[in-house]
Amino acid sequence: MKSPGLRAYAIGYLIFLYAPILLLPIFAFNDSKIIAFPLSGFTTQWFGEMWQDAQLWSALKNSMIISGTTAILATGLGIFAARASTRYTFPAKGGLIGLIMLPLVLPEMIVAMLLLVVFLAISVPLSIFTVILGHVLITTPFSVAILSSAFQSLDKSFEEAAYDLGEGPVSTFRLIILPLVMPGIISSLLICFTISLDEFIIAYFLSGSDTVLSAYIYGQFRFPAKVPAMLALGTILVLVSVMLLSIAEFFRRRGIAKTGGKDTGGFL
Amino acid sequence: MTTTKPTMIEFRDVHKYYGDYHALRGISATIRAGEFFSLLGPSGCGKTTLLRTIAGFEGIDTGVVLIDRKDMARVPANERPTNMVFQSYAIFPHMSVEENVGFGLRRDPRTKTEKQAAVEEALAMVGLKGFGKRAAHALSGGQRQRVALARALILKPKVLLLDEPLSALDKKMREHMQVELIKLQRQVGITFVLVTHDQEEALVMSDRIAVMFDGEIAQLADPETLYRRPNSKKVADFIGTMNFIPATVLGESGGRIEIEAKGLGRVELMAEQCPAGRGDAPMVGLRPETLTLLYPGQTSTERTVAGVIDEVIYFGDMTYYDVYLGGTDVEVRLSMRNVPGRLIMDVGTSVDVAWSPEALVLFR
Ligand SMILES: Nc1ncnc2c1ncn2[C@@H]1O[C@H](COP(=O)(O)OP(=O)(O)OP(=O)(O)O)[C@@H](O)[C@H]1O
Ligand SMILES: [Mg+2]
Repeated sequence: MKSPGLRAYAIGYLIFLYAPILLLPIFAFNDSKIIAFPLSGFTTQWFGEMWQDAQLWSALKNSMIISGTTAILATGLGIFAARASTRYTFPAKGGLIGLIMLPLVLPEMIVAMLLLVVFLAISVPLSIFTVILGHVLITTPFSVAILSSAFQSLDKSFEEAAYDLGEGPVSTFRLIILPLVMPGIISSLLICFTISLDEFIIAYFLSGSDTVLSAYIYGQFRFPAKVPAMLALGTILVLVSVMLLSIAEFFRRRGIAKTGGKDTGGFL
Repeated sequence: MTTTKPTMIEFRDVHKYYGDYHALRGISATIRAGEFFSLLGPSGCGKTTLLRTIAGFEGIDTGVVLIDRKDMARVPANERPTNMVFQSYAIFPHMSVEENVGFGLRRDPRTKTEKQAAVEEALAMVGLKGFGKRAAHALSGGQRQRVALARALILKPKVLLLDEPLSALDKKMREHMQVELIKLQRQVGITFVLVTHDQEEALVMSDRIAVMFDGEIAQLADPETLYRRPNSKKVADFIGTMNFIPATVLGESGGRIEIEAKGLGRVELMAEQCPAGRGDAPMVGLRPETLTLLYPGQTSTERTVAGVIDEVIYFGDMTYYDVYLGGTDVEVRLSMRNVPGRLIMDVGTSVDVAWSPEALVLFR
């Protein structure tokens, strides 16, 4: 960071990245329907409006169900896949893992379209459930990637020591492996949850009449009067995200302190 | 050495392949009950693999492994009467010291207080009394090793397996733990099988040692035999220092072999000094400490040979001299203890070297 040019670039980059997030709460408390400076006055009216919005609550509920279920299912699958890919060798292992990771590089639009075609073809009604299936498909690769590194860094002799001391495969997994990869599992849960909550295309294509939060917010932006309430919602979402990530980071650091490992930096 | 001890572990022609690589090439050996047994050999010779076939972590392709006269072919690792101290110690990092030590007692029907007492006892045995509540990661290398020992011994296994348990410790700690381990083994009377690549460690600690090269046992003997009567040049070279001197065999009669060793002259050897031949060019081996440098005016009842000092290496307690023998190009290394009043000789000095025929081993 010696060159002043690079420094200016870095500062400009950070402003570009975070300034919009700062604008969010500013306008959420601004006493005007028009999103523009100068600010006209302080109000909590938009939060109240948001709170009263029944449709919003239903979209939020749907999204929470989708993201929560997705996070749990994807992480569950991720645990098995990551464990298999790091510990066992079996025929066509590379190909299978490749297939699991494929949605990572496939455009989401294509995934959404294909799933829509398939669901319509086999006449599965579109609902929260179909969105969950789509989200599990796209978040499992993230889970596998995170958990593979967690399983990889696990010394094999821990497992062997547990066998040696009389435990079977299941109790060894529960008593030794699971606790040691727990920081990875928490990371995976959070990241899958966040990706699912954010995701728009699949949620929009596959949700049928069940509106999800991302699609609802997008819809509200067509009505200028609704925009401040959405900014209020955005403010709350930012706060919740920061809280969740802080909690995750807390657990990750505690995990490292507990196992006496070296902190190689988490996702925060 | 008592030979009446019953057999604890028996290998019968054990072969093991990793893919195409032939890692164990026909291991046959017995380890006796209550014995401190070492597997010694250079890196990659298959020591760890052999140890892991006892623990049950590694299957074998052909042959039989018996523990306490029971075939282990279908017995999984968690049901074998063995426990292991891993090279990395494998102390569970998310548990306290006492949780680690008590881990193997989970399936034990005893009450909680009885188990607690057993943990305390095991900790006391390895000198870690009062460390129970410590977090596992807040331990030094030596303490981790003791925890690993206590954790393995609390189950009172028939066999304790140790894979290079001391290699992570510094020299002082290692020497200290060697003695501790010997004491512990005498105290508990359990069969110990130790893997090491450190020949000194093996000699110090073991009742018997199997020297391994390339997946085979080259020699299995007690430390003294291994040191004094290695059965091949390779073993002799691996264990301690040995001088090799070219020789010719003059004749054999009635269990005695007459040879001519370059620089030493004619020597008559007993049969026990001549391990089975391998078709190599004949050589005699001599340990440095079996040769004595004679100071001017000193005489010896042993045989002597004149020589010239070529190199002097000072080691504090010892001095090593490299000496050319009897005007030949044969150079031997000999070691002299540095006792008060004994001078260090200079390079180029002509000296007499005393040696005795019993110290020789013939390799051919
Ligand atoms: N899982 C494995 N797959 C393939 N080859 C292996 C495996 N484990 C060991 N080997 C090979 O088998 C040989 C013996 O290995 P082993 O670990 O028993 O050696 P060692 O005598 O314990 O050596 P060291 O002193 O280095 O630990 C080595 O050549 C090693 O490369
Ligand atoms: Mg090894």
